[in-house]
Amino acid sequence: MKDLRVTVLSNAPIAAGVNQMTFSLPERVEGLRCGRFVNLSVGDGAHLLRRPIAICEYTDATVTICYQIKGAGTKLLSQKKAGDELTCVLPLGNGFVLREEERRVALVVGGVGVFPMISVLKEYAGTGRAFCSYIGFRNAASVCGEKAFRAESERVSLVTDDGSFGEKTNAVAAFFADFDKAKPDVILSCGPAPMLRALKAGLAERGVKVPCYVSLEERMGCGVGACLVCVCDLANGARARVCKDGPVFEIGEVTL
Amino acid sequence: MADLRVNVCGVPFKNPVIAASGTFGFGKEFNEIYDISVLGGISTKGLTLEPRLGNPMPRIAEGYGVILNAVGLQNPGVEEFVREDLPFLRGKDAVVIANVAGRTIDDYAGICARLDGLVDMIELNISCPNVKCGGMAFGIRPESVKEVTRAAKSALKKTPLIVKLSPNVESIAANALAAQEGGADCLSLINTLTGMVIDIERRRPLIANNTGGVSGAGIRPIAVRMVYEVCQAVSVPVIGMGGITCAEDALEFIIAGASAVQVGTANFTDTLAMPRIIAGLNDWLDRHGVPNIEELRGTLRLNG
Ligand SMILES: Cc1cc2nc3c(=O)[nH]c(=O)nc-3n(C[C@H](O)[C@H](O)[C@H](O)COP(=O)(O)OP(=O)(O)OC[C@H]3O[C@@H](n4cnc5c(N)ncnc54)[C@H](O)[C@@H]3O)c2cc1C
Ligand SMILES: Cc1cc2nc3c(=O)[nH]c(=O)nc-3n(C[C@H](O)[C@H](O)[C@H](O)COP(=O)(O)O)c2cc1C
Ligand code: FES
Repeated sequence: MKDLRVTVLSNAPIAAGVNQMTFSLPERVEGLRCGRFVNLSVGDGAHLLRRPIAICEYTDATVTICYQIKGAGTKLLSQKKAGDELTCVLPLGNGFVLREEERRVALVVGGVGVFPMISVLKEYAGTGRAFCSYIGFRNAASVCGEKAFRAESERVSLVTDDGSFGEKTNAVAAFFADFDKAKPDVILSCGPAPMLRALKAGLAERGVKVPCYVSLEERMGCGVGACLVCVCDLANGARARVCKDGPVFEIGEVTL
Repeated sequence: MADLRVNVCGVPFKNPVIAASGTFGFGKEFNEIYDISVLGGISTKGLTLEPRLGNPMPRIAEGYGVILNAVGLQNPGVEEFVREDLPFLRGKDAVVIANVAGRTIDDYAGICARLDGLVDMIELNISCPNVKCGGMAFGIRPESVKEVTRAAKSALKKTPLIVKLSPNVESIAANALAAQEGGADCLSLINTLTGMVIDIERRRPLIANNTGGVSGAGIRPIAVRMVYEVCQAVSVPVIGMGGITCAEDALEFIIAGASAVQVGTANFTDTLAMPRIIAGLNDWLDRHGVPNIEELRGTLRLNG
């Protein structure tokens, strides 16, 4: 975990309201991994909180993130130009880990949840695993990351809420419709809370015993585990820090 | 190299920069980024006798140059702190301050008795705006400030007592005097100012608790004014905080009369804020030919 001054190399739109930014690291950083995240300053004196964004791609010298332009902070990020500097705390959180015996992997993804999943695909490409991807977007204009999923997945189902691209359904319904063909050993999921709740309910209804890991979002203060701002409820009644103990949790372990 | 050492009611600090309660946990996480032994001191997350789960989420929101939080004193309880976190903190070369809270006067006395002699200082949080009973209830009126301070003080045989004052009161100077009369060895201020941010689309407060405590750069002028007023009113040392982000900010508090400062929200914006402030203090003093920082304390001259 380091707090570094990084330099923007590129920052441009890749879909409606979504930007991709690549920045260079001033030094080598250990532990960049899929499902982990960075906490970026937006670089003005008005917005004191850093923005947590998943690591989408990385090399020894660069990190690429993709972010939806939502409020003031991501708007400021979208105005950064090549050569601008930002400070960034990284890498944060636990990330997705596949066990050796988990060979068939289902990815159930909604909206900007695609970006951490792209890091999973890149990291485990060439390990002989079969990925089956179920990806839901609001509409055709918000579709992004399709190429990465098509390149690395055995089966891909890309759907939209309004049917303007692919079938008119959602990622969870598409996943369960294809479940018998996917035959996953493990399920990884990232997306809005209602999607994760539907996934959890669907798994319970069908009595699916396959392990399922979800990446959660919560508003953060420190981003490093010290302030207890970002906690989530655990099924056992305790609370865990999304930034440090997560953001990835076993779906049965958390109350969504 | 300027001399940054300060002495606060008999406790020596190698520099006047202290991590503010609730923003630094028990130090372990920030220690992954830098060695927290560089700090003058560390005030822990607010501790209670029993573990507490705190408030529902979301617990944080942003304003312009400020943040609002309503964590609600989530903490593992004093026993787990003593077992799991205190040994780590003791191994660091920084003054350890336990920030404590309770629902009743007996809670305050009980937790003070439990920590007496185990930490370097105890900071009584009677000013948390985010918990329903206890906390702030004691911090509002001078009579109850004095009463809870007296109870805490009589439970302490070895460890000096800091009373942390709330800014959400009629007269912070009157409360400061009340704490001094109750036996406080030192005062710290300010805790957060109560505020609200509304999500206009949902027409609901952004924070689950509805209101939250406002902190960060934007509150600094209010905090400096209050620290000045309190320093004028009392004879015990004062630790100032509220919106400090750099060495120059810290110096305002010291010139207003504070013996040391705490840094909270700035740790979120810049995890290296405190080491930078310490280096910045040294540079400023050297540049201005001031050999030691204690010389600056309370040197404010008013206009007119
Ligand atoms: C671990 C993690 C990984 C994430 N990865 C991505 C990603 O790869 N791509 C992407 O587009 N988004 C991602 N998000 C969501 C992203 O952090 C928010 O969209 C962003 O912080 C909004 O900032 P803003 O200034 O635009 O919005 P504002 O509403 O102005 O933000 C105000 C405050 O609320 C916080 N906030 C608002 N929405 C969220 C949210 N959904 N989650 C956490 N904090 C929030 C902000 O960080 C800021 O502190 C991730 C969130 C988390 C927790
Ligand atoms: C997330 C958060 C949690 C806090 N928790 C506590 C606490 O447990 N006890 C306490 O006395 N003050 C607590 N505070 C208040 C700070 O210690 C400090 O008084 C206040 O934030 C003002 O300083 P700042 O502007 O530098 O942050 C908390 C502040 C924040 C932002
Ligand atoms: S944001 Fe501070 S503990 Fe997670």
